[in-house]
Amino acid sequence: MKDIMRAKCLISAEIESLINQQIRKEAQSSAIYLAMASWCDRNGFDNSAAYFFKQSDEERHHQLKFFKYILDMGGTSISPDITGLKIEYNSFREIFEDALDQEISVTQSIKSIAARCHKEQDYVTLEFLNWFFKEQREEEYKARRALELFEIIGEQGTGHWEIDKHIGKIHYGTEA
Amino acid sequence: MQVIETIDSQVKLQEVFSTKSGSVSQCDKENCWYIDFAGKVSRFDYRCLLLLKKAVYNIDIEALLLKNAKSADIEIVFICASDHFYVLSTLEIIALKELLQGTFTMLELNHIIQDRLYRLAV
Repeated sequence: MKDIMRAKCLISAEIESLINQQIRKEAQSSAIYLAMASWCDRNGFDNSAAYFFKQSDEERHHQLKFFKYILDMGGTSISPDITGLKIEYNSFREIFEDALDQEISVTQSIKSIAARCHKEQDYVTLEFLNWFFKEQREEEYKARRALELFEIIGEQGTGHWEIDKHIGKIHYGTEA
Repeated sequence: MQVIETIDSQVKLQEVFSTKSGSVSQCDKENCWYIDFAGKVSRFDYRCLLLLKKAVYNIDIEALLLKNAKSADIEIVFICASDHFYVLSTLEIIALKELLQGTFTMLELNHIIQDRLYRLAV
């Protein structure tokens, strides 16, 4: 009997479902960063707003990469609906704490896809995920560095102004 | 697996899985499956079979069983962009779900056999 399922689609139903969940996560990240950009802009943190606009674009790019991968492999990509976004934040610092949490959660979720790939010996998807692991290294580095600015500069006096000035300068240049 | 001869002798069907209430057979020539269930035989291609699986798996059987309303005990299983739909009672939905679960398990088994016996050996 012919293996029609395999001929039509390279990835398993489980991997497809996990990547579709990841698409939702990336879309949610993109929307969250946009909400953060909005808050920063409204509160006068122009550089941070620009930083989050850029982050939002990057997350959308990741979402599309996953989206196209499923289609290329013969699966069904699902465009997610995103609701229940937080639009108000209690402090400037809270935004960066949330941003780091978000990145950690994305890394964790990609790790769980990779774990499933190992189990199924799906080395094709695993190779595809490598790009994202490298990207997450940079994303987490940037989020952590931003939060560290609050410790180094301090929030007293013109601290917030100084932090905002340095946010745009965070750069991950130590490619290993 | 059992080979079923159809009226058209050119089209050979291989039974994938069957229960008391129905059966699913695969046609290698047409790359499709024939589902014999609820008094009719319907042809499903790859996309439609996956859509049927999704539609049936998404039905909350527990909620149907607990439903107290006086409405009729039927569910319409409609598959987008397909010629087929089913109007089924709760018991038939349970039977169809069982049939599909068995079918997908057998297809997965066939995939493993193909991988282990043929793809690696050749």
